[in-house]
Amino acid sequence: MSFKKALTVYRKELLELFRDRRTLFTTIILPLILYPLIFVGYSALMTRQTGVLEQKGAIIAVVDSADDASSRIIVSHLDKIDHFKPPEIKDQIQQQYDDKFIDGIVTIRDTTLTSGINGYQISVQFDRATDKGRMIIDKLRRAFASAEKEVLSGMLQERGVSDKLLDAMIVKEIDTSTRQKKMGMVLGMILPYLMIVLLVTSAAVVAADLVAGEKERKTLETLLVSAVARNEIVLGKYLTIITFAFLNVVINLFSLFFSMKYMLSMSGIQTEGVKIPLEGFGILLLAMIPLATLFAAILLSISTFSRHMKEARSYEQPLLMVTIMLAMISFFPAIEMNKLLALVPVINISLLFKAVMINEYQLSHLLLTIGSTVVYDILAIWMTIRLFNSEGVLFRVDDDTSIKNIRKEKRSLFNPFYGLVYFTLSLLVWFYLGMLLQSGKDKLEGLVQSQLLLILLPVLLIIRILKLKANEVLRFKLPKANQLLLLPFIAIPAMLIVAYLMQSINMVFPISQKYIESMQALMNISANPWILLLTLALLPGICEEVLFRGWLMRFYESSGKVIAVVCTALFFAVFHLDPVRLLPTFLLGLLLGYLTIRSGSIISSMISHTINNGFAVLVASFEGAWIIRSLFGASGQIHHWMMPPVVLIFIIALLMFHKATANKELKCVE
Amino acid sequence: MTGIARMTSSSTDSRSVDEYGEAMISVKNLVKEFSQRQGGKFRAVDEVSFQAYRGEIVCLLGVNGAGKTTTMRLLSTVFKPSGGSAEICGYDIHREAQKVRENLGFLSGDTGLYNRLRAREFIRYFGRLYGTEDAVITRRIREMADLLDMHEFLDRKIEFLSSGMKQKVSIARSIIHDPPVMIFDEPTSGLDILTSRNIVAFIRDCKKRGKCVLFSTHIMREAERLADRIVLIHKGKVLADDTLENLRLNTGQTDLDDIFVYFVNRFTDDMEVTADEF
Repeated sequence: MSFKKALTVYRKELLELFRDRRTLFTTIILPLILYPLIFVGYSALMTRQTGVLEQKGAIIAVVDSADDASSRIIVSHLDKIDHFKPPEIKDQIQQQYDDKFIDGIVTIRDTTLTSGINGYQISVQFDRATDKGRMIIDKLRRAFASAEKEVLSGMLQERGVSDKLLDAMIVKEIDTSTRQKKMGMVLGMILPYLMIVLLVTSAAVVAADLVAGEKERKTLETLLVSAVARNEIVLGKYLTIITFAFLNVVINLFSLFFSMKYMLSMSGIQTEGVKIPLEGFGILLLAMIPLATLFAAILLSISTFSRHMKEARSYEQPLLMVTIMLAMISFFPAIEMNKLLALVPVINISLLFKAVMINEYQLSHLLLTIGSTVVYDILAIWMTIRLFNSEGVLFRVDDDTSIKNIRKEKRSLFNPFYGLVYFTLSLLVWFYLGMLLQSGKDKLEGLVQSQLLLILLPVLLIIRILKLKANEVLRFKLPKANQLLLLPFIAIPAMLIVAYLMQSINMVFPISQKYIESMQALMNISANPWILLLTLALLPGICEEVLFRGWLMRFYESSGKVIAVVCTALFFAVFHLDPVRLLPTFLLGLLLGYLTIRSGSIISSMISHTINNGFAVLVASFEGAWIIRSLFGASGQIHHWMMPPVVLIFIIALLMFHKATANKELKCVE
Repeated sequence: MTGIARMTSSSTDSRSVDEYGEAMISVKNLVKEFSQRQGGKFRAVDEVSFQAYRGEIVCLLGVNGAGKTTTMRLLSTVFKPSGGSAEICGYDIHREAQKVRENLGFLSGDTGLYNRLRAREFIRYFGRLYGTEDAVITRRIREMADLLDMHEFLDRKIEFLSSGMKQKVSIARSIIHDPPVMIFDEPTSGLDILTSRNIVAFIRDCKKRGKCVLFSTHIMREAERLADRIVLIHKGKVLADDTLENLRLNTGQTDLDDIFVYFVNRFTDDMEVTADEF
């Protein structure tokens, strides 16, 4: 590989990008004007508008039905509020409020409290949904607080008690955080999100243009026939995306930094001790590098895969949405960086930023974050180079996927796009109708209904309508005996591994009490474990396998076996609608997909799925039994020492299965 | 110009191939299969063999979908062959792809250009990708600008050029590294008459300079006017490979259209192909 040629490609791409006025405007000019506008303009407007609101004041009717010395004190405090006026007409107060002539009504009544003391009940009518309403209640609360003290001290004096008692409890807040840290906390929430989103969106714009754009403009073939190697092209383009995305982030930060500085100095807030953490910015930029390279590689492979820019942009959308959601983790309270999260892309950078901004980060987390991202990065680049060397991808053509053609050529139904459509529809149906079915009294019955009606039935119906051979399409045939024998040795260890993983995840994201309760409710409905096994293990084992491994897998087989397994596993994970269980279900989906493809039979994955679910049911049903107690510690957790032998059994069984199905594979190729 | 310029013959006579010396393009039983979504394989190029020599213009003639573009993509190393072999200037297209590309100039009718670059930058970019020295690139751009009358728009952005100017830029791009072999894939498709004439003149000029030219077309007139030798290709197979005169002699037809139909009919007796289709 010649680095010089890669650099030639890189220089040309940059030159072209900077010649594009639109890109130039959105990446450089826009951030330079936008932040000053937002910060300076917005804050000025905000202060001004608040002033306007206060100046405008409000019409408040005070109805004092107690009308004694104390209530008059309260009224006098209310009268002192600036810009509050009483209504001009004193009667039909409620009517005036309803007609919006009055902004609020304060009613004071004397009442005997449960303790037997005579006191006052004050009610306030206001509309919190308006800015004025919120302003009114704020001011009234302050007035009530000062009135309360005066009324109380009067009452105490009446009883011959010193009103000094009111000051008996003094609360003093000692805030040890520095202004610097407070600033860091606010920045730590906003900045990671902002930087990641900027990085990804600007990288996406450039990436779509770099390969899909070349395909669209018919320049790619010219490039391919020139004496530049494909990995040199990939490297050149990859560097372009990184440079551009980074430039965008730096310009944004620069503009943000100066706008904030200007705003702080203009706002008259004491800026002593408040410093924008510049060195923090530096560390962040450094940590952004692996993330930028990762996204550059992923986006470049999307662009390589796409036939034109529009297609690239639409494939980029889901990635951008997921990234933005992951980046939002910095806004969540109580999620702190740990070694496990340091391995999750985007989330790790987001949390690291947060920690860096308040200057409380661990070096190990920084290294883990950078290290893991570099690993993902290498994988993504390898993938891009592979795609770039694939003729099928570089010269992809449209398939005829019209409905007309499906009638003619039934196989053309099974293309990735229709697979996605089918999955999306069934997800929607599962979410809305499933919720409806399961909201009834008998949760178990609802579950059975939704499995049969929403998951199994539609697939069978479509197969019937299109007159497809169900057994063939769904691979409904028995695997060989030796494969069947191996399944428990794969499924049970897999189940334990998944459970162990779940257990580790639960330590980071504790399961909510509500979820545990609803699960327990489900288990308690029927004490008979056999019914539970039937409905919670066997039924989903059959229905879900028909949908995912039987039906949906067919849509992705034309794209290759690996892609088919990964896609259906992803669908399977998303279908469970639980972000915390996403990874374990995904891994389980990978295994089930592998078993189906490898053995050419859906029965293998049905059995494994049933074993997996069944085991969970058994554990829950026989919590007290000795075998459960010996598997799990007193805390109900799987022992750590169990993992190495379990993983070993799993690997050996899987290898044996792989070998046992080797002939099958050869036959398929033939 | 390099030593290749020794050959300056511009005649379209039917000399025997031996007079041209060593073969610059040598294709042996080349096969390209594409897997189909419905399963199974589709043979786009089926055991294709032919040779092309120095100072010779060889035309790959066939209808759309005959396998011309796939053959050319195989020769230009964009595709990898599923079987057989081919050599360009003695370099194997599979094992020595880089060397093959260095010795090859490639031009197709629907090639796009980088609109935001200036013509000079565009040509220089490809020169650098071919590993040509900057000084040589500068000299060659000047020479080509003289030859193709490009001085006037050399420093203009490509997006502002007319289609004729763009075509000249593409031509200059394809020979910036002075390759001994030129491949033109449907070079005139989508071009107006005047622009097509530029291309035709350029192809003749390449021959004059002793380059080996392979061009594909579905237009019979173009093949008649330019080719020293015609390779008839249909459904991925070579049906005939000879000079126009020999083809006329062997088939008893004078018109190339009729000759083409003659061979196709012989290939598929049951299929009626009329010359109107072309």
